Amino acid sequence: MTTIAAALMIAFAAIAGGIGNSVVFSKYLEGIARQPEARGTLFGQMFIGIGLVEAVPIISVAFGILVLLGVFGG
Amino acid sequence: MELSPKVEFLGLSFDVPVMIGTVFTAIVVLLLTVLATRNPKMRPGGLQNLVEMLLDFVRGILNISFDSKTAEKYLGFALTLFLFIFIANQLGVMLMVTTEVHHPIPSLGITGDDLEESHAAVWFKSPTADLNVTVVMAVAISLFAHFMGIFRDAKGYFSHYMQPNPLMFPIHLVDEIAKPTTHALRLWANIFAGEVLITIMITYGNPLTTGAPLLVWLGYSLFVGTIQAYVFTVLASVYIAQKTVQDH
Repeated sequence: MTTIAAALMIAFAAIAGGIGNSVVFSKYLEGIARQPEARGTLFGQMFIGIGLVEAVPIISVAFGILVLLGVFGG
Repeated sequence: MELSPKVEFLGLSFDVPVMIGTVFTAIVVLLLTVLATRNPKMRPGGLQNLVEMLLDFVRGILNISFDSKTAEKYLGFALTLFLFIFIANQLGVMLMVTTEVHHPIPSLGITGDDLEESHAAVWFKSPTADLNVTVVMAVAISLFAHFMGIFRDAKGYFSHYMQPNPLMFPIHLVDEIAKPTTHALRLWANIFAGEVLITIMITYGNPLTTGAPLLVWLGYSLFVGTIQAYVFTVLASVYIAQKTVQDH
């Protein structure tokens, strides 16, 4: 049961992270297609965005690993 | 998983690898900065060049949320924060120090039950892969921001909680609690998940099946460590600026 719980946590985190990052990255591509000279500034901003978006799924992954290792929820 | 030695002191349990990691990272940061700035030259070369680049980089981070005069005041703080987190993240990826244990050592918290699980004791861990370290950093930054806000303009600070009307007070309160929580969890979870995955691939994998993914993941970990050090420093400066900069 714990294995299934951890698997679900990590799987949904992967789905959410994929969707979230794809939204950020596609908006970045749209931005530089519209204004190629803004590439430099947008590049840094995009990575801040990805760092922020990535956080929530990776927190879920970390707690999934903790559940798997039996730290809690055993 | 490997065993991690612990020492009990005043009823609190301290993780030895994390303490070694913290001290080691601090020494590396100190050596890097001291060696680079002992003998400054007009035409910088080598190490001095590197540290000057880092300084300009951190100045750029601070200029996002402060004006350039205030940014100089926080430059030392932000550079320390960035260098400590950056080097801690990279050391965790590069270093792995384990020893074999075959007998229970009660003073280090290794019991007979633990030895049935594993015989490897780990002696070095990235400090940022431990929730205690990141929570301490995030809470300290949050407290600093609040105190600075109160010292700067106490009336403005407290009236901010009632903006735009007193009904928003609970939402402001949740916001203030959520900020340090996510700030700490973001850094910890990224580094912890990375380290666990590396350990699993090294321990349970073999070169044929997990060799290539391990290499890819190690490269990605270096990248994640850099991004997270950057994001942590940006957010720290943003949180402090939210409380101290008047016109927003």
